[in-house]
Amino acid sequence: MTIYLNDAEAKLVGLDEIIAQCHCRCPQGNHLKAYRHFYDPTEKGELQEELDAIAALIALLNTTPGAAIDAQRLLSQLRELRGTFHGVENERLLDDTEFFELKKGIAIFNQLADLKELTRAANVRLAVLDEAERLLDPTGTGAQGFYIYTAYSAKLGQIRKNKRELEGRLESSSGTARQELLKNRNLINAEEDEEEEHVRRELGIRLLHWIPQLRANLEACGWLDFRLARAELALKWQAQKPKLLSADEPAEIADAWHPLVKAALQKSGADFTLHSIRLEKGATIITGANMGGKSVALQTCFLTLALTQLAYFPPCRALKTPLYDFLSFSAGESGDFKLGLSSFGMEALQIRDDFHRSQLKRGLVVMDEPCRGTNPSEATAIIQALCQAYALSQSSLLMATHYKVVPEQGLRFYRIKGIRQAGLESLRSVSGLKDTELIRQIQQLMDFHLEEVDGSHPHPSAAIQIAALLGMDIELIQAMQKLWQEEKWQK
Amino acid sequence: MRAYVTNEAEQPEGGLTSESRFLELAHFEGLRSLALVGLSKNAGKTTCLNHLIRTWEKSGISRPLALTSIGRDGEEEDVVNGQPKPRIFVHSGTYLATARSSLSRCDALLNILALSGIRTNFGEVVICKALSDGYVELAGPSQAADLLACENLLREQDPDLFFVVDGALSRRAQAGGGLTQALVLAVGAETSANPEELAEVTAHALSLLNIPALDAIIAMRIQDLLKNQPGLRVVALPQANEAAVQTLALPSLVGQAKAIAGVLEGNPGTLMLRGALTDTLCKSLLAEKRFRNFTLAVEDGTRLFISPGILRKLNHQGIQLAALYPLSIQMVCLNPFKSDGTPADRAALLNALRHITAIPVEDFGPTPL
Repeated sequence: MTIYLNDAEAKLVGLDEIIAQCHCRCPQGNHLKAYRHFYDPTEKGELQEELDAIAALIALLNTTPGAAIDAQRLLSQLRELRGTFHGVENERLLDDTEFFELKKGIAIFNQLADLKELTRAANVRLAVLDEAERLLDPTGTGAQGFYIYTAYSAKLGQIRKNKRELEGRLESSSGTARQELLKNRNLINAEEDEEEEHVRRELGIRLLHWIPQLRANLEACGWLDFRLARAELALKWQAQKPKLLSADEPAEIADAWHPLVKAALQKSGADFTLHSIRLEKGATIITGANMGGKSVALQTCFLTLALTQLAYFPPCRALKTPLYDFLSFSAGESGDFKLGLSSFGMEALQIRDDFHRSQLKRGLVVMDEPCRGTNPSEATAIIQALCQAYALSQSSLLMATHYKVVPEQGLRFYRIKGIRQAGLESLRSVSGLKDTELIRQIQQLMDFHLEEVDGSHPHPSAAIQIAALLGMDIELIQAMQKLWQEEKWQK
Repeated sequence: MRAYVTNEAEQPEGGLTSESRFLELAHFEGLRSLALVGLSKNAGKTTCLNHLIRTWEKSGISRPLALTSIGRDGEEEDVVNGQPKPRIFVHSGTYLATARSSLSRCDALLNILALSGIRTNFGEVVICKALSDGYVELAGPSQAADLLACENLLREQDPDLFFVVDGALSRRAQAGGGLTQALVLAVGAETSANPEELAEVTAHALSLLNIPALDAIIAMRIQDLLKNQPGLRVVALPQANEAAVQTLALPSLVGQAKAIAGVLEGNPGTLMLRGALTDTLCKSLLAEKRFRNFTLAVEDGTRLFISPGILRKLNHQGIQLAALYPLSIQMVCLNPFKSDGTPADRAALLNALRHITAIPVEDFGPTPL
């Protein structure tokens, strides 16, 4: 069970870019982040534990951030140790660098284990491995470096002593005597290598005993890291802990925002709109004029629910949701001209697959203007039939469309409020603006809020109005308005 | 022996300078970092490094040495021609930044102190300290930023250490300039056994390495820009202070003459090019009518790979070369042997070289194997 998004739609929703804002410090944390575990309804308990741990870490970050900073400093020094563990298990001789990595890893585990309040909040358990630490620090000095210590073997001590004495003589020697000493030095080096190998093998055998605990500690560090990173992200967004509901309850999203849209709007000094919506089983249809922000509203809703099931705090004031078996998002423009595939063909495939899945499992299917390139009367029939079919299913369909959907049982409607007529006059009198600035000004006139309506509301229309504001030929506009009035009258 | 090594601890002979005078002549006091660069292969760079290490040890200086290499050095045989090469013999207490695969070819006892996270063809660069005397193989990073990161990691162990880079004077060496304060240039009969010829080539190399420092205020402005935008390759500073600075971020300078010429439209007073300045690039730039009458700055003299003819043309166009990080050349070391073992006339070579520079030019002889 998973999230269904093709590459283009993933880019639209911005999930990758948003997850990239979650900064893990160690390779294990990054593996967990990259894996993107989707918690399905059978894992509600695990997801709840995950969210609880993040909430506890947020509380800790707010009160005593020092422990988290210490932990992140330590985590950033942790390396990928699984290859070394595997080497020990397979009786491969480790080199000095690997012993050094292990020694450092064990020291990090032990220091993290000391941060008791933090590990308790993060709900991770780290075993203290004092004995293993002593094994790799046989002189007990607490020094961080590693080499094959003379303390490991009396024989090694004797070999190194002999080597030092020989090197002392080498310094003042010349001629054949020097040649002889150099030869002897090579022999001693070989002896030293042999004894060091012996020590390495012994160390490997003794370390084998701790491998299960080392593996468990490494995994715990990954979870600590990933949970801390999500807590930091939640603090940055001021995101709230979502409430997990049972399967038959509706999802409710309150004041959600899209972090990428918010950042872009804030950069340009514009306001951003918070979206609230309630998603029941069946179909929810969003209507709204062009430029009304339907796509952003859909992407925001999808994103908050997807992030929740990926165990992130969603960017909103409050969110309650059941867990879906799958989430799907389609933007209806997935034709691939390079492969010579038509866009409707591809879209129909996605509609088919989503519908098939929605009959077998309980999913949330989000569609942004399906059939946008289809002949309107046929498209209206397709959309109405889809809404009817989803209304009878266990799944939820959230759809934005310009086509008229007739209200029926199991269908709910939202509308984007659209152009604030009050501001229109002032914009009509403005001239000499650049095209992009003009579009920006029209956007400023939009009220992007969603409001629930009963489905009998007039169909939103602003396309001709926007065309007029953008300075389209006046006679052309008049012709458009005349034809539009006639069509409305006929209906 | 074909390379500049011997089995004997040779006594100084005609023209040789006693090794004991190495530090006295090289004047390393007050320096934090040094690069050893060779004019060609077999110029005697590693021999020179061994002289440095030996005399440093004997002098009793308390500052430790820290060694690394741009590329690989200290291996027993030349990977190109299979000839034996001088190996690097270090003393206990010396710090190293060398690649993981080189560690197994070191016979000094090494205490591993840090892993740099910097990858090379020979594995990750490891920071370690010799706990005994012995031979080592150096294989360090090839990128400037990585070399700087290694120096920082080494200085975490001992802030006062003397950082010595076994460098390379080649356009193939990717490490940029501005990495060390000073350098020792190794020249060998491999370049030419003819004293006048060797002197001419060396004089040209020294004139490039020795280019004067860029005006201090301009240098600070450029350093600030580079600090904030490390990807910048071209910086054009206008003659008037208030005019806008033009910059270009490029992957390299190769083939970018047209783009560089674009920033000359503003008639800059200083044009800084970050990367290797080659004959090819200069020829293309010289064809641009605005490429005249300004200061052309590079990171340091090691970034210049231009022939005497091109240097003359630059001068003729009123272009003065300057270094963002000027180098101090401490000494020129001579290897009077060609790579096939043929000896050249040491005394004549030394004599010719000493005529072209006031910097000490010495041959300290081979180091014992």
